[in-house]
Amino acid sequence: MLYANYLKMHLKSSFQYRYNMMFISFNQVLINISEVLAVYLLFKQFDSVAGWTFYQSLIMMGIVYTVYSLTECFARGYDEFPKLIQSGELDRFLIRPVNIHYQIFGSKIEFSKLGRVVLGIVISIIAFLNVDIEWTALKVIVLIATYVCGIFVIFGLFVLSAGISIYTIENLEFLNIITNGSKELAYYPINIYAKWLTTIFTYIIPIACFNYLPLSYILEIGTIPAWLCATAPFFGMLFVIPCIIFFNLSLRKYKSSGS
Amino acid sequence: MGKSYFGIFKMEFKGELQYRAKAISGIATQFFWGILQIYLYTAFMQQDAVNGFTISQMISYIWLGQAFFAMRYIVMGKRIGKEITNGNVCYKFIRPIGIYNQWYVEGVGQKLASTLLRFAPIIIIAFLLPANLRMHGPVSFVAFLLFIVSLILGLFISNAISMFAVFLTFKTLSDKGSIGIVSSISNLFAGLIIPLPLFPQGVQNVINYLPFRFISDLPFRIYIGNVGITDGLIYIAIGLAWLVVLMLLGRALINSALRKTVIQGG
Repeated sequence: MLYANYLKMHLKSSFQYRYNMMFISFNQVLINISEVLAVYLLFKQFDSVAGWTFYQSLIMMGIVYTVYSLTECFARGYDEFPKLIQSGELDRFLIRPVNIHYQIFGSKIEFSKLGRVVLGIVISIIAFLNVDIEWTALKVIVLIATYVCGIFVIFGLFVLSAGISIYTIENLEFLNIITNGSKELAYYPINIYAKWLTTIFTYIIPIACFNYLPLSYILEIGTIPAWLCATAPFFGMLFVIPCIIFFNLSLRKYKSSGS
Repeated sequence: MGKSYFGIFKMEFKGELQYRAKAISGIATQFFWGILQIYLYTAFMQQDAVNGFTISQMISYIWLGQAFFAMRYIVMGKRIGKEITNGNVCYKFIRPIGIYNQWYVEGVGQKLASTLLRFAPIIIIAFLLPANLRMHGPVSFVAFLLFIVSLILGLFISNAISMFAVFLTFKTLSDKGSIGIVSSISNLFAGLIIPLPLFPQGVQNVINYLPFRFISDLPFRIYIGNVGITDGLIYIAIGLAWLVVLMLLGRALINSALRKTVIQGG
């Protein structure tokens, strides 16, 4: 399979610079640990936010770290899409008889992000062990759906911002709001933000569907009907469809940048 | 001598001014972060003052942080990292100015330029926002003057800390990695991730004397009146002492790394 070859190639090339890769990976973990430490200190001062305790919020952080970094690792090509345009690499992709998305996936796989995936999983496990949950089969299914939904939504955001960069060519810092902004927003229960922000990040960009809503169901917090919370991740997954459609339509309008 | 430093400084400044579209897009991003953070901490604080830190002070603190964002972050000049990894650094050796000083001035120039380009629009708009997001003026005129002084001190300290990232790049040849390590420590203790006044008092008692908080936490607290004038002056003196220590240490480390440098051609 072609993807296996891509995978092997990227793995080999990152091991050429293995110390560099390990160093960068260690670094990213360190950055996130300092973030977790900051949040811990914040909760030490205030105990809870909007009825959520430290460990309950930590579950959200853990999920975000895991899904975001996992998507970043394998879908990095979309994140760095402007580079493909600027270097003219995209033009070469377009004349090959292989699906474009397949090639973008294959264009970059960043294994150094996996350190953060591990951190996210460790954090979530620590958090889950410190929270009282009556597990049921349904809750396990919802939790799995939450992770899948998270990957789909973050991937959708990458595709969306790649699609926008077809028009802007440059990688504008503003596009960071879409990806990074959504990530930071997902660390805390979404209902602490203003109504307009909550609405945007529930219905338009469904961040709440892979943290606040399903976790309200699993942890039994809040007043939103349980069935709505439990099904939210399944609705959230649909977000990726319009993103891909937008990207494909934009690509039809693509004009080579000429380099 | 002074003239050549000014030359390096001017060059960095002009370079930064070339990217105006980037600055506008950056300002928009800063606004989004600012609003997000204000809602977040308002939710945590629930109308209470924490260690004498009120919500309206918190809002001004956040906006100042967004306005002076460019000088708070530990970035070394974009080129410095590349120069080291691609070997162009050797041109710096043949110039008649010490390499630490060249880099230091470059860094200050870049930070100052991107700050000057961005801060005014953010401050102006922050003053015009609805009440729950609006920034307030400085607590007094003297406080404002002291704010300016400590902010300049902060710029120099922030850059002195960046120089440690330059040193690490020399040692490891990975500019991405070095910035990450230095900035993750610095960002936490400088109050970039979460404003320092929101930390537990015991932790603050330690952080207050580390060099990182002088980058931005001190000037902002002087501005909002959370640190008084006399305390402010004492802290500024401590900050100056840190600046001297950091610069001497940074210079010694970089010089020792240079002695073992091998330029690999190319």
